[in-house]
Amino acid sequence: MTELASKLDDVTQRFAAAVDRANDEQALESVRVAYLGRNGEVTAVRRAIGALPPGERPEAGRVINDAVAAMERRLQAAHGELESRAFDAELAASIDVTFPSIRRPAGSIHPVRRIIEESCAYFVRHGFAVVVGPEAEPDYYTFDALNIPSDHPAREGFDSFWISDTLLLRPHTSPMQIRTMQQHRPPIAIVAPGKCFRRDAVDARHLFQFHQVEGLLVAEGINFGHLKGMLTGLCRELFGAQQNVRFRPSYFPFTEPSAEVDTTCPKCKGTGLLGSQSCNMCGGSAWIELGGAGMVHPSVLTEVGYDPDRYSGWAFGFGVERLGLTRYEVDDIRRFTKSDPNFLAQLS
Amino acid sequence: MRVPISWLREFVTLPADAQAIADRLAMLGFPVAEIERRPTITGVITARIAALEKHPNADRLQVAQVDVGAEAPLTIATAATNVAAGQTIAVATIGAQLPALTIAPRTMRGVASQGMMISAEELALPGEWFEDGIMQLDPNCALGMDVVELFGLDTAVLDVEITTNRPDSMSIFGLARELAASFGTGLRLPEFVNPGRDAEPPGEEPQVAIESDDCYRFVSQRIDGVRVAPAPAWLRVRLALSGQRPINNLVDVSNYVMLETGQPLHFYDAQAIRGGRLIVRSGRDGETMVTLDGVTRTLSTQALVIADDERPLCLAGLMGGAVSEVGPATTAIVLEAANFNGARVRRMSNALALRTEASARHEKSLALALTDLGAARAAALLRDLGATVYRPRAYGEPATRAAAIALKVADVQRLLGLPLAAQAIEHHLAALGCEIDLTQPDTLAVTPPVWRRDLTIAADLIEEVARIEGYERIPSIVPSVAPHEISSAAFALESRIAHVLEGLGYREIITQSLRNAGSVEVRNPLSEEQRFLRDSLVPGIIEYLAENASPVRVFEIGEVFNTDANGLVEQSLLTFGFSADPVDEPPWRDSHFLALKGDCEQLLRKITGRDAELKRGAKPGFHPGKTALATLDGRAVAHLGRIDPRAAKASDLRRPAYLCVIEIASLPAYETPRYQVPSRYPSTYRDVAVVVDIDVSARDIERAIVAAVGSLCTGAVVFDEYRGPQIGEGRKSLAARVTLQRFDATITDEEADAAVSLLLDALQKEFGAEIRA
Ligand SMILES: [Zn+2]
Repeated sequence: MTELASKLDDVTQRFAAAVDRANDEQALESVRVAYLGRNGEVTAVRRAIGALPPGERPEAGRVINDAVAAMERRLQAAHGELESRAFDAELAASIDVTFPSIRRPAGSIHPVRRIIEESCAYFVRHGFAVVVGPEAEPDYYTFDALNIPSDHPAREGFDSFWISDTLLLRPHTSPMQIRTMQQHRPPIAIVAPGKCFRRDAVDARHLFQFHQVEGLLVAEGINFGHLKGMLTGLCRELFGAQQNVRFRPSYFPFTEPSAEVDTTCPKCKGTGLLGSQSCNMCGGSAWIELGGAGMVHPSVLTEVGYDPDRYSGWAFGFGVERLGLTRYEVDDIRRFTKSDPNFLAQLS
Repeated sequence: MRVPISWLREFVTLPADAQAIADRLAMLGFPVAEIERRPTITGVITARIAALEKHPNADRLQVAQVDVGAEAPLTIATAATNVAAGQTIAVATIGAQLPALTIAPRTMRGVASQGMMISAEELALPGEWFEDGIMQLDPNCALGMDVVELFGLDTAVLDVEITTNRPDSMSIFGLARELAASFGTGLRLPEFVNPGRDAEPPGEEPQVAIESDDCYRFVSQRIDGVRVAPAPAWLRVRLALSGQRPINNLVDVSNYVMLETGQPLHFYDAQAIRGGRLIVRSGRDGETMVTLDGVTRTLSTQALVIADDERPLCLAGLMGGAVSEVGPATTAIVLEAANFNGARVRRMSNALALRTEASARHEKSLALALTDLGAARAAALLRDLGATVYRPRAYGEPATRAAAIALKVADVQRLLGLPLAAQAIEHHLAALGCEIDLTQPDTLAVTPPVWRRDLTIAADLIEEVARIEGYERIPSIVPSVAPHEISSAAFALESRIAHVLEGLGYREIITQSLRNAGSVEVRNPLSEEQRFLRDSLVPGIIEYLAENASPVRVFEIGEVFNTDANGLVEQSLLTFGFSADPVDEPPWRDSHFLALKGDCEQLLRKITGRDAELKRGAKPGFHPGKTALATLDGRAVAHLGRIDPRAAKASDLRRPAYLCVIEIASLPAYETPRYQVPSRYPSTYRDVAVVVDIDVSARDIERAIVAAVGSLCTGAVVFDEYRGPQIGEGRKSLAARVTLQRFDATITDEEADAAVSLLLDALQKEFGAEIRA
């Protein structure tokens, strides 16, 4: 018994020293295997119990079990120690969080699409559908059905690219009014965004290829007030809750009454002034021109088989890049077609 | 149109502030592009040169005694050469303020000068439009009058934009009428009675023969006793302020009347008319005439001319001819105030590439009644200049009032959303010159004024009511839209595609639809570089990639144009891709292609809900060995690959470029995926390596593995390819990971191994694959 005790003592002492030497989990595991494993040193000591007189054996077993329990606690503590040291080491690390990021490539939709989508989303919330149509249109949809017969002076305002005697690149999105009204019966509530073409000289305010958003609402009881209501809401959607909208009389063959629509200049907040300077966005006028609008001309309703005494409606058409100039405070409308990466990145 | 406010004020009372007038015009539908303010000028008065003698000490100076209506004349020394005793002129007195100087007393070579004689330029008028030297005023002018006030030189000039439907308002009278109606101040238009109405012409007078349906009315009037000279100063100043160069009294009167009444006129030298007739007829092919601008023009039947028995004298509504031009020898004229078909005038103007102030009015179709008004106004002015005017003769249609338009009172509110009483409606329309019959209280019978050809239906009148009431008074109402069946699907799909690509790191661009190549041509391109409609988005994107110094990832959604047997075919295409720096890798591998393919697969999955099948493809302009075709249900949906480096170089793109082209209409509708419950039992995998011919594709191997193993195989993916001398010429090594799993139990190693030997056998049979350890 004494011999066993001294052997056990020796084993536990060497075990303690080995645990202290172990610097990592792997070393600690080796120590566990060497002492507490199936063929470890403690097992060898335990085997010696058989040689003891039977009366001493339970006591010897208890002593060994106590020693093993102590060794396991010791191992546990060593594990804890190692882990905490590892955390300390990990937590000691420190980086410069302002170092430039690693980025995956950034995508973006074009600002023209963003304006179209936001405008359309506003109308969709109010029960409108979004329709799209061809860019090459017969003159019937472009002009004739819109109350612009071939000799009409207003055709001069739509200097168009012609493909044949009767086919042209649409100079406005209004053909979608006719296409939709011919396919459906009232109520008609649509927005029609799309690309248009006019033979305009390109400068900082003009493109020969541009986009419009067209809107059309035809039903019983629709009036000019509804046009004001919806377009005021659209301007607030695009430019902010403070926007006001002004309607000025104008002339379009396909609307009567007709209007030009202006909104307060968002840059100078409708004051015309930036500090003591005249606002460069609105030229000091305090207003930004958005486009044309009006009540659908009775001839147009008649052309698509609607009774103008029963149905009434309004339409509008705004230039998307023009909206973009104001919304993003862009200096030159050509930037929208150039799509320079820096331009796209700034506006996305 | 340039409109001097001083001219408007002759007929209507207006606010003092030019801005207030401009704002009101804008709210009436006549936006003012510019308010041209006039410089401040004071102390310039009318004067008469009472005596003029040579300066005692200077050869080039003269000394004038100038009567300014005061007791004592002023002594003024001048270097001007166009002065003579008896002339009425303008002088700046001591203390006068001119744009460039202030007049102070000074001594000129010993003579104390008490002021300065004034030229047009010193009054801020275009000097080259007036006589050299001192401006000559009218002899009967009262002396000592303030010249600025007399000529309205201090009031602003408005540049007014006039919509094409309102040629009646391309005139001082028209705008004065609008402002009077809107401000509610009275209109003071003169009574226009032709002063020649009772005077029979003494001798022969040309008859007018209207031989064309495009001349609706023609008023002619014989005027004798004319002599070409400068027009009176007040008239010349008004023309100059309106942007019209004064020429001589006759031309100036015709321009003045056009600006004031809106009716263009033409004066013929009476002696030049041969055969005693003016004939309105179509031009004859090949006929030539020299117009007033000195250009010889060859006519066609499209032209409308006023001719005598021998030759054309005037292009109707556009420009006169040199042969009947009034000049120093002219003693008698024939006045023409005519009304033509606007479309005919515009076609002729376009065909001859000639536009004038007259054609700008005629082409918008003027009111018939303006002809009589214009003739009367011109006759009155010419009589005042000393001419003898005779009875005007009118040919063609009578200038009668249009029929009444029925305007339902309820329709005003129905269309405007603004409740207006019949009284208010009547008031607004009457202010614009309409006659209103109120017999039926619910429906007004409204007769538009003779000068308004644009008012033909009730909606036109409702706009007039709204204009005078003020658009700002219409309430703002958000409508409630009844349900309808109109679909937004096409737009929504395009939008979804754009957002998926945004998420995949592509930036949307918009390139030009008009290019230097394509299969559909436009007839009237702006330049040769823009003669064709694009038939592909690829060239525009390649140019964009080439313009950028760094690699970029972009997409464009847009229309392209082709032709087939039925004519033009327009399609919506999507093209996306990137330029990239080359990667050092063997020629049988292209990581950029694989990255593009991955994006294509993800896009198609998100848009269609399904996985596309990819195989080798071909597309012009694409690299023959690096192009794939993606299909869904066997239908081609996408072409993708590397751009042929030769095509890239042609656009100066040196970097490799990879693009994927998708015709949006070819995409099948989104199919909602259904959930497949995965096996509850663990899976295992085996990696296999085989050597096959290089034309066996990774996809062939994957498909063969799945086919050979059957339902036990839940995945087969080639993860490595190698070629090299150890493998052998024409051969390659492919490694694949095969995932194996049972739905009813845990798969055993024996089952997995059996599956592998099954598949290896199959690969050997199908592809002659060698198995690698
Ligand atoms: Zn502003």
